Amino acid sequence: MFDYRTTFGVEYQNLFNRTQIEGKLDKGAPLEWGMENRRGKPSTSFLFGLIGSQQVGPYYLGATGLASLICGLIAFEIIGLNLFASVGWDPVQFIRQLPWLGLQPPAPAWGLHIPPLAQGGWWLMAGFFLTTSILLWWVRVYRRARALGMGTHVAWAFASAIWLYLVDGFLRPLLMGSWSEGVPFGIFPHLDWTASLSIRYGNLYYDPFHMLSIVFLYGSTLLFAMHGGTILATSRYWAEREIEQATDPGTAAERGGIFWRWVMGFNATFESIHRWAVWFAILCTLTGGIGILLTGTVVDNWYLWGVKHGFAPEYPRVYAPITDPGLLRAAVQP
Amino acid sequence: MSMLHFEHKYRVRGGTLVGGDLFDFWAGPFYVGFFGVTTIFFTLIGTALIIYGAAIGPTWNVWRISIAPPDLRYGLGFAPMRAGGLWQWITFCAIGAFVSWDLRMVEIARKLGMGLHAPFAFACAILAYVTLEVIRPLLMGAWGNAFPYGIISHLDWVSNVGYQYLQFHYNPAHMIAVTFFFTTTLILAMHGGVILSSLNPPPGEPVKPGAYEDSFFRDLIVYSIGPLGIHRLGWFCAINAGVWSAICIVLSGPFWTRGWPEWWSWWLNLPFWN
Amino acid sequence: MSLLLAPFQPVAAALGGLRSGLRHHGGRFRVGLAATVAAAAVIGLVFTLERPAPRNVQLGYRGTGMGAIYNARLVAQQLGLQQVDAPLPPSIPAGKTAAQAYKNIQVLQNLDANEFLRLMGAMTQWIAPQAGCAFCHSLKNMADDSIYTKTVARRMLQMVMAINTQWQSHVDGVGVTCQTCHRGRAIPAGSWFIQPPPHGERNATEADSGQDLPAAVAGGSAFPYDPLTPFLLSAMPIRVTGTTALPNGDRSSVNQTDWTYSLMIHFADSLGVNCTFCHNTRAFEEWDQGTPNRVSAWHAIPMVRDLNRNYMAPLAQVFPVELRGKLDDAPKVSCVTCHNGAYKPFYGASGLPYYPELAHAVTMTPPAGSRP
Repeated sequence: MFDYRTTFGVEYQNLFNRTQIEGKLDKGAPLEWGMENRRGKPSTSFLFGLIGSQQVGPYYLGATGLASLICGLIAFEIIGLNLFASVGWDPVQFIRQLPWLGLQPPAPAWGLHIPPLAQGGWWLMAGFFLTTSILLWWVRVYRRARALGMGTHVAWAFASAIWLYLVDGFLRPLLMGSWSEGVPFGIFPHLDWTASLSIRYGNLYYDPFHMLSIVFLYGSTLLFAMHGGTILATSRYWAEREIEQATDPGTAAERGGIFWRWVMGFNATFESIHRWAVWFAILCTLTGGIGILLTGTVVDNWYLWGVKHGFAPEYPRVYAPITDPGLLRAAVQP
Repeated sequence: MSMLHFEHKYRVRGGTLVGGDLFDFWAGPFYVGFFGVTTIFFTLIGTALIIYGAAIGPTWNVWRISIAPPDLRYGLGFAPMRAGGLWQWITFCAIGAFVSWDLRMVEIARKLGMGLHAPFAFACAILAYVTLEVIRPLLMGAWGNAFPYGIISHLDWVSNVGYQYLQFHYNPAHMIAVTFFFTTTLILAMHGGVILSSLNPPPGEPVKPGAYEDSFFRDLIVYSIGPLGIHRLGWFCAINAGVWSAICIVLSGPFWTRGWPEWWSWWLNLPFWN
Repeated sequence: MSLLLAPFQPVAAALGGLRSGLRHHGGRFRVGLAATVAAAAVIGLVFTLERPAPRNVQLGYRGTGMGAIYNARLVAQQLGLQQVDAPLPPSIPAGKTAAQAYKNIQVLQNLDANEFLRLMGAMTQWIAPQAGCAFCHSLKNMADDSIYTKTVARRMLQMVMAINTQWQSHVDGVGVTCQTCHRGRAIPAGSWFIQPPPHGERNATEADSGQDLPAAVAGGSAFPYDPLTPFLLSAMPIRVTGTTALPNGDRSSVNQTDWTYSLMIHFADSLGVNCTFCHNTRAFEEWDQGTPNRVSAWHAIPMVRDLNRNYMAPLAQVFPVELRGKLDDAPKVSCVTCHNGAYKPFYGASGLPYYPELAHAVTMTPPAGSRP
């Protein structure tokens, strides 16, 4: 009889947890300071337990985190209430039109001046509180690692994301001399901003730092597919105990390494794969931020910049030469 | 040499999908296998065709080389070599090479007693490629709907095909795909970061055991998915990034021909609030 | 009583089962629920898409992705709405002009009287097939100007003649008749008014930015909801893309680009085309990389401005209040008014050859009662 379990090696295909672990919940590793701020009685979740740990909590709530949450809440409220106001405080229309609603930066005429609240001041204030919230959260990420006696790699990766956020909403508008260049808050509005930015500055695909950013974005996804796949595929050898496998490699580390060695002639180690990972992720937002910062400040039209530097392809002509009719009718130039 | 000190005990024959022990050997660090041979076969021919295409083209500037699919009027038929035929054979070779490579990964995984997660994930990436170059052109009725092979020219194609739907960011499947890409990168940074910070603590601190991963993220954001779960989540998100990319482009044209913003009118026109 | 309650018993049993199931297998139930909701969402979304019948018209070098994408089924529906009316039978020359035969003739005075009547008949068919002559004329005295529609119609005749003679650059080879816009309706589709902020003053909260609401005129996007007033009535600058690789002092902003984008979506939707119908989008601004269609579209901009400023806007006081906009303005012309979703009105068919008098030069001054 056909045995699909053997044929497809079903016992090797780790897809979800088949058991929900019961027993005493983990109270967490000791902190070097601030144990009194670790709060919340740990609970369990069946759904979470299917894909990962079913334990939820405890959590640490110190002054920095609390301040960050409060600032984030203020930003959320400023944005939310302004969006609510933009449909005349109609709750049904608020839900219906929510993806379209937005809070725009000050109009171009304001430059870097501080406008009245209704003319973009709310956008500035929301941005201020959101930025404060994010920076405070960064401090929290850094301090939580230190309190556990760990390195601060997560905080520095987070800093790279903050860099992109600051460039988009603050540093580039500052260099351009106009708050209006900032990103609006809102679901569709911020997507419209990306499209308009690309059109105004002559096609962001020709921005080499945008190219790099996409490479690292796709590269990060590729890396996680490879790394996640390798760990899952060797999980029956306890590959997920990565610290142990990095410091004292067992058969999981050997098989995982050899797999890629046989596939592509090269393999990372249990430690170095995480260096690849962090650097790809960091470089995604780092190069992205550089690409945006140069847009409009140093380069006005990325396509023409590409032509200037000889990397824009030329396509065979399919129409007779077309000239700008505005040159012939200078009087009425749309 | 090219073998790691513990590698001998893993280099055993067998576990192949086809052909018994035909080509069941190693070359340096590489495993060859039947599908290794087919990979090399398709790769060499495909690369030679690309170089030939560049040679008969107007430029050797690597950024500007472009090998374009046929005109739409050739439909799903064969085009002359210089008018898109090259593109057709390169595509054929690419798919042959990608699929061979994936099956070779399956054979290696079987040899090592591993699950098939990595080849499955690669299969999803191949699916995205095949969707762009084969499935969508088939549904649209012409090979000319596929993207050209060129470093910058494929970006020009992406630009134009995006603007064929006025504002492509409103494509819901594109939104989901981008969200998966960003999420994958975010959790990759979080996971890679926490492992490195466990292995590289401040001076004087011991290396931290796995339980600290959980403690760090529970302290930080209430929940830690755990050392096994994070790989599941990352693998799942990475695959979905590819799959939803394939969905977002196969919808555009075959299943939607207007501007993507217009698609959202169903939401605005739901009967209970319109 | 038990008979009455019977239908509810299965419901009660199901609810009870649900409750006990939740108590004992809460997690599994939630997984099932999540899966069901996800499946329902996917199936629901499928119905928002089109049934495949894609057609791609290549508009650039192969592999550049320049093309107009259509769904054959939707075009077939469109075709029914894009039929030029059969012309009325040719008139037998009356031997005298309209001005000689009738009173109060201010346009087409030199047209043969019978041809004049034939054109009047065609206009009735195009604009007010139900109401007939009485839509514009007092039937007791056809020369009377007391009904406002007659004043409007006279001005619109002058407008049609102006389009066919002065705006050859846009309508060349096709031309327009009254039917191009009206198509059996007194008020053409796509006529528009200046849009004041829909929710008025908002006191201390963010003032209306002109965007971030569902914009029907901009294809349902969140781009500015009234791009027609600044560009097709006023003449705000439309070109925003940088013209040199490095900064040259051009202060066009991303915000301005939102407005141009909105106008361009209106262009595309009105014509049933997309951005690549005119542009190679890798360089929107480069004329020589785009298609010749962009030149035609360019000439439409000053044309529509001319029509709105010199023909439509001055009629504001002639229209009754209920046909005016919120700012008391007259209905105006946009791209969709003529095109109705086709890249050329009637896909290039024309009724003009059957009524050549509509392509005569305009010599008349604006009618009495209209504002300059």
